[in-house]
Amino acid sequence: MNRRQLLKALGLGALASMAPVQVRRFLAAAGNATPPTRIVFFVTAHGHTPKSWNMPFGNVPPDQFLDRPLLPMARGEFSEMLRPLHPYRDRLLVTEGLANVVNLHNIAEAMRTGGDINNHSIAVAGLLTGNVVQQNVGVPCTGGARSIDQELAIRTGAPGRFGSRVYGFDYSAVAGVSPFSFLGPGQAAPKVADPLVAFSDLMGLYVPPPTGETPSREQVLNGLRPSVLDAVAREYDFLAPQLDAAGKQRLEQHRDFVRNLELSLGVGASATCDPSFVPAGDRITQFMDIIKLAFACDLTRVVTFVAPVPECTEFGYPADATVHRYAHRSIAGGSTCGANYEPEAERAMADLGVWYANHFAYLLEQLDSVVEGNGTMLDHTAVVWLTELATPTHYHHDAFAVIAGGGNGKLNTGRYVRYPRTDGSPLAGYANVGPAHNRLLVSLMQVMGQADNSFGLSSVRSANGNLISLQGALPELLR
Amino acid sequence: MKRLAWLLVAAVACGDNIAAVGPAPLRRLSNLEYRYALTDLFPTVAVELPPLPADTAVAGFENEVQAQQPSDLRIARVEAVANLYASAATKDDAAVRLLTGCASWATPSEAAACSAQFVRTVGARLFRRPLTAEEEDRFLRKLTAWAMSVDFPGAVQLSLSAMLQSPQFLYRPEPPLVLDGTPSGTAPVEPYAMASRLSFFLWESVPDDELLAAAARGELQTVASIREQATRMLADPRAARLIWDFHRQWLALDRILNDEHDYRTPAIDEAWTADTKTSVLQESQLFVEHSFLRVGTLADLLTSRSAWVNAEMARIYGVPAPATADAWAETVLPAEQRAGLLTRAAFLAGTSHRGGTSPPVRGSAILLRMMCRLPAPPPPDADLSMPVQDPRIGPQTNRQLFEDRTSTPACRECHRALNGIGFGFENYNAAGRFVTQEHGLTIDVASRLFGTDIDGAFAGGIEFSAALQRSREVYHCASQQWLRYALGRAATDDEASLIGDLTDQFMASKGDIRQLLLAIVTSNTFRMRIVGSTAGVAP
Repeated sequence: MNRRQLLKALGLGALASMAPVQVRRFLAAAGNATPPTRIVFFVTAHGHTPKSWNMPFGNVPPDQFLDRPLLPMARGEFSEMLRPLHPYRDRLLVTEGLANVVNLHNIAEAMRTGGDINNHSIAVAGLLTGNVVQQNVGVPCTGGARSIDQELAIRTGAPGRFGSRVYGFDYSAVAGVSPFSFLGPGQAAPKVADPLVAFSDLMGLYVPPPTGETPSREQVLNGLRPSVLDAVAREYDFLAPQLDAAGKQRLEQHRDFVRNLELSLGVGASATCDPSFVPAGDRITQFMDIIKLAFACDLTRVVTFVAPVPECTEFGYPADATVHRYAHRSIAGGSTCGANYEPEAERAMADLGVWYANHFAYLLEQLDSVVEGNGTMLDHTAVVWLTELATPTHYHHDAFAVIAGGGNGKLNTGRYVRYPRTDGSPLAGYANVGPAHNRLLVSLMQVMGQADNSFGLSSVRSANGNLISLQGALPELLR
Repeated sequence: MKRLAWLLVAAVACGDNIAAVGPAPLRRLSNLEYRYALTDLFPTVAVELPPLPADTAVAGFENEVQAQQPSDLRIARVEAVANLYASAATKDDAAVRLLTGCASWATPSEAAACSAQFVRTVGARLFRRPLTAEEEDRFLRKLTAWAMSVDFPGAVQLSLSAMLQSPQFLYRPEPPLVLDGTPSGTAPVEPYAMASRLSFFLWESVPDDELLAAAARGELQTVASIREQATRMLADPRAARLIWDFHRQWLALDRILNDEHDYRTPAIDEAWTADTKTSVLQESQLFVEHSFLRVGTLADLLTSRSAWVNAEMARIYGVPAPATADAWAETVLPAEQRAGLLTRAAFLAGTSHRGGTSPPVRGSAILLRMMCRLPAPPPPDADLSMPVQDPRIGPQTNRQLFEDRTSTPACRECHRALNGIGFGFENYNAAGRFVTQEHGLTIDVASRLFGTDIDGAFAGGIEFSAALQRSREVYHCASQQWLRYALGRAATDDEASLIGDLTDQFMASKGDIRQLLLAIVTSNTFRMRIVGSTAGVAP
């Protein structure tokens, strides 16, 4: 069964029959000489235990600036959580030590004025806005300004192209604290949580979601045959240049037959703009496919995806366990909840991190499979992985921020950058903090071709009265 | 790059004569090698394969590089076979554990570790060398992504399928030796590539762990270490594949499987059926394999009367049948009737027609395959039909009929040599049965060889087979054919002296096949490569 047949089997026949027309239109749209720059905000709940993702680099003191190339590093030298990203290390940019200074500022303000100081609501509201939260009496606080994805949507949108897409899930069981994207103060950007609906939106027609008609495992495996053939054809491409002329010619001939077979099975896996969609894999995986489709067909250039918090069984842990409970017990000492440390919880949070990393790697693989310009779509995209909180134990400093993709040449990738934590925190009694997360947002604005030198708040004061600047890009991240 | 640097050093240090080393074109696994490789790599997997497009035989051999052009059908079959194997090798959790060597992949960290282990270990077995870091990355990326679309076992299945379709598995690429600024010269073949050269020749399959371990230790670079491994390999049961497949192709023994041999006229053999021919071929295989196992000389293949027969072959050879039906049992064939391969049904019936023998066909088969002499084609107006009895003349033997038919001046010169061999085999009818009378006439098998290095009179196939052992031409031809099978190509003019050396050794060892194979695998052309701008260019 090829993709088109599968679509038909799923009750998407009308769509399937439209596909050739769509392909032509999309191909024309995607055939730009200079590929556009795209950005994905990939947001996951809580944070990850530093131990699971930090890289120690021998005897360099953890509070010292460090800038290391990732390319020479072996897989085993990568931290456990980042190991799934090792094959993409040439286009990976890992930062350690950034702090959500604005969150700390917002907590300090709320403590002063009596607002909501729940770490989750503060973090969610501030992550993409980098701004003061909107406090409403008696309810959780929420975003107080337009978020970066929505700002970029306005600036990069064009007639016939969506400014942005916001996909994903209400990550928290705590009601009302999930939107990360805001059109403006208190106004969440609309979010789509069903991959099929997201697909319909992109196609411009509503298809009622089929009920209970998920493809069988056999169908999914069969549907991946073009993807296998694509990988196989690439192996011939890699090997052929190493051979003498006759051997090269033979392998190229072989490769062409593989490509023909791939095409005969339906739309080739390597097609630039393939407007078909098979709901294979879990919810996250399906959305990653949607993002690839949207970018490859240039239907939008900005996507925010909020990952769900999985059931523990989804990453191999008991059904009666919860991620939230694990999170609170995952780091020894250090905070009140850290006092409840359990090694099993630490292991579970590391595994959850790997689980997310696998999905993130899946997205990178999809983007990297689309050839455009002088490289792949991944070269022209910034895929930004941020976490709600800095750590599972509700810190806002020492945040997790990983960028993948070349950002169309603007990102200085293939590196691990560790920032020293030298600034006093806006929150009294809190540990010293590294550079502000806002400066990462500024850097990303610039990657997207914007000249802005600040995003969100431009400065806050530390508890001891020093001015902390939130302006300017992080020069280490940019070319 | 590390490997390349090592090769350059070797090239400079090694002063071998470049003329002795021929080209090393890219080889694809032949159908035989492909099937054996799959069997050896997945001993617990039983899969019924779709028919593969036949390998075109060149000079009788199915592993010739020049005939290995890819085709759409082959690529489609390779995909089907890869999917069948990948699916069967991952059919349940136990199978995945066996394949990957992992105890569990329940948690993401376990799955990640298992992915890396699978790619590294299975990749190394399939590609016959450790994967490069880039290859590991590529396959790991795919595996990780596919695990998201299906599940971990599904991703292992798809990754295995991709590996089984990759050029690193289907072809035998050797590390690049053409580099800018590389001085011309020769260098030992890189150890892992050498392991594959040895195993695909001696076993028609992938290297085993021990051979790969020797490569990992950087061995297989000297004649001594190659001889040591090859000696071990020739003692392994897998060597029987080579011995049978070579002789089957060399002497065109499987010609018996052609459709024309489904049937024999009642006068030739009333009991012959289409099943007979598979028994005929299997008898040859059992004979060749056991001969190699016990003796291992060309002389034994030409003279031994040992045979393994089932009821049908016992009938053909006129010996007692095994006690149990369908069983194969060892026996000794009658001393006055049989000796070696040329007096066995596969050769005798395979070179006959359904209603009678053709002495010229038998003669040309022996000249072409065993003495490497290309018989001239019959003139355009030659009558190629089977000669038949003329009632006006009265009964004649088949020999007399062919003598009459080929007595014209246009035919006589060539047929002197062809018939000279063929007439000596007239005691064996078109079913390979021993006969002394034809139409009430006694068959005359006294004959004479012309134009060879053993010219002279002989009578019957047994004497002829014995005479062949004195022929340098036969040893030379056998050496040439073995070398061709080892290299997947014809020898170049520069390699002529090598064939001469092999012939001398082969004769000196009284036709010891093991010694010949050891001489081939330790020859410069087998174990060295040309380094420089002319490397690997096909002749």
